[in-house]
Amino acid sequence: MKLKSLLLRYYPPGIMLEYETNGELKTKSIDLLELDPSTDVGALVEEIQKAEPLITASRAEKVRLLVQRLQAKLEQNSKHIFCLVKVLRAHILPLTNVALNKSGSCFITGSYDRMCKVWDTRSGEQLHTLEGHRNVVYTIAFNNPYGDKIATGSFDKTCKLWSAETGECYHTFRGHTAEIVCLSFNPQSTLVATGSMDTTAKLWDIQSGEEVFTLTGHLAEIISLSFDTSGSRIITGSFDHTVIVWDTSTARKVHTLIGHCAEISSSVFNWDCSLILTGSMDKTCMLWDATNGKCIATLTGHDDEILDSCFDYAGKLFATASADGTARVYCTATRKCISKLEGHEGEISKISFNPQGNRLLTGSSDKTARIWDAHTGECLQVLEGHVDEIFSCTFNYKGNIVITGSKDNTCRIWC
Amino acid sequence: MGLLSILRKLKSAPDQEVRILLLGLDNAGKTTLLKQLASEDISHITPTQGFNIKSVQSQGFKLNVWDIGGQRKIRPYWRNYFENTDILIYVIDSADRKRFEETGQELAELLEEEKLSCVPVLIFANKQDLLTAAPASEIAEGLNLHTIRDRVWQIQSCSALTGEGVQDGMNWVCKNVNAKKK
Repeated sequence: MKLKSLLLRYYPPGIMLEYETNGELKTKSIDLLELDPSTDVGALVEEIQKAEPLITASRAEKVRLLVQRLQAKLEQNSKHIFCLVKVLRAHILPLTNVALNKSGSCFITGSYDRMCKVWDTRSGEQLHTLEGHRNVVYTIAFNNPYGDKIATGSFDKTCKLWSAETGECYHTFRGHTAEIVCLSFNPQSTLVATGSMDTTAKLWDIQSGEEVFTLTGHLAEIISLSFDTSGSRIITGSFDHTVIVWDTSTARKVHTLIGHCAEISSSVFNWDCSLILTGSMDKTCMLWDATNGKCIATLTGHDDEILDSCFDYAGKLFATASADGTARVYCTATRKCISKLEGHEGEISKISFNPQGNRLLTGSSDKTARIWDAHTGECLQVLEGHVDEIFSCTFNYKGNIVITGSKDNTCRIWC
Repeated sequence: MGLLSILRKLKSAPDQEVRILLLGLDNAGKTTLLKQLASEDISHITPTQGFNIKSVQSQGFKLNVWDIGGQRKIRPYWRNYFENTDILIYVIDSADRKRFEETGQELAELLEEEKLSCVPVLIFANKQDLLTAAPASEIAEGLNLHTIRDRVWQIQSCSALTGEGVQDGMNWVCKNVNAKKK
């Protein structure tokens, strides 16, 4: 085995090793999920050396520099103050969701006006209009990290796959018998998964445009789905109060997570795929062992339905957003609530961490989005200006751009 | 509200929930009517550029009322909201005689929609507080409502501003939902 090169992954922090074995080029990653600004780099490098034979003594200095770079990246943009740079009168009807490509150079908006539009983030210029759906474009996604394709899921029961560069429609995926309300590309960007009000999810082949599998088993609408980091499993969250873990290569049910006593609102894996976090209308969120499907913890405290939940990129923290107008941040290891985000004057329907994991972004029916310190719960900024409730908000991968989409038919770019 | 609540209101409603679609030309008074139903302040109402949704309890039902903007350029999108509609409420500005033909046309097109077939329709002859308002009987005749045979219908004069007649209309709604849901 011969090490060829070392590459960095900023968020979550990791070092990719490209190495040669029997004439074949392979890669593996050293995940540094515990890395934080106070980590003793010297000790960490020693640990890496012990665990990874490819990192020989001669490479140690190089690795030390890389870890320091990763450490610096975790603090990058942490003092960033967001300013409104553009208001885009994007659609003639309310927006649904927004999504950025990995570099943040462009983003997409879906709307009740049946269109998806592609925008240049810097100039605010409209690059493409993706037209063809016959009803609300509800769920949208880029195939990040590549960013050359866009998938749109509509109330017209179809999903369309588009070229992000030309706006050309490659495929229309037909087969669902009710509204498509969630979708995701797998990490390899070979499949699109769609979840529907028809109680099924489907996997589609991007190349051929054919249906690969139908995931049948839920008893009510599927409203959330996500792949794990490797793409080998997918979870679906349903109004039937359960979450199902599926094997994507066979469409077999691996586990059914039973425990919530009301509709599921969100379901996600952490980065290393050891845990699943679910939020529910029953006002609780639950942590599950992804390997055996057992519930590890039930987190109570919210006074109303949980509308969204998420892990940070490394999986060290997770957060919940509630109709009670507050959000909470928990430490994954201890499952203790470390901060409460209080200040919104309406329900919080969206929550996400910045990739560095030290900030949170929330979107609310009070027409504002807010930026919070993840550790102290202090509200750092109120992004004001929308004249109707915010339906969606998102950070870019660098954590220095925020896009908000609203029922007021506009989207706003904050940098 | 949030997108998730919209999805919850989208699915076919359980027995005690009723999905009501509120349509009509711009300036007919749909949003005022919606706010009147929800007992909210009606002093600052601007043209609806999208939609408003409110849930009101009435006679043991939870009425989920969808108020959809009526401007010409967004009327083609009304059909986004047709799915699972239990009752259609069509609102007319009874004082705007110049637009009776236009409103009649839109109503006729709605009644042709497959997804709304057999859905009971209540027509509110709104703005009866205005002196120039045409009476409900005149509107019924002008719009040829008596030719509607594929569903139950009713015309009710009202003033969304004062609230007069609104409850009578909603009583009719509940009565006809009863018939449908049982």
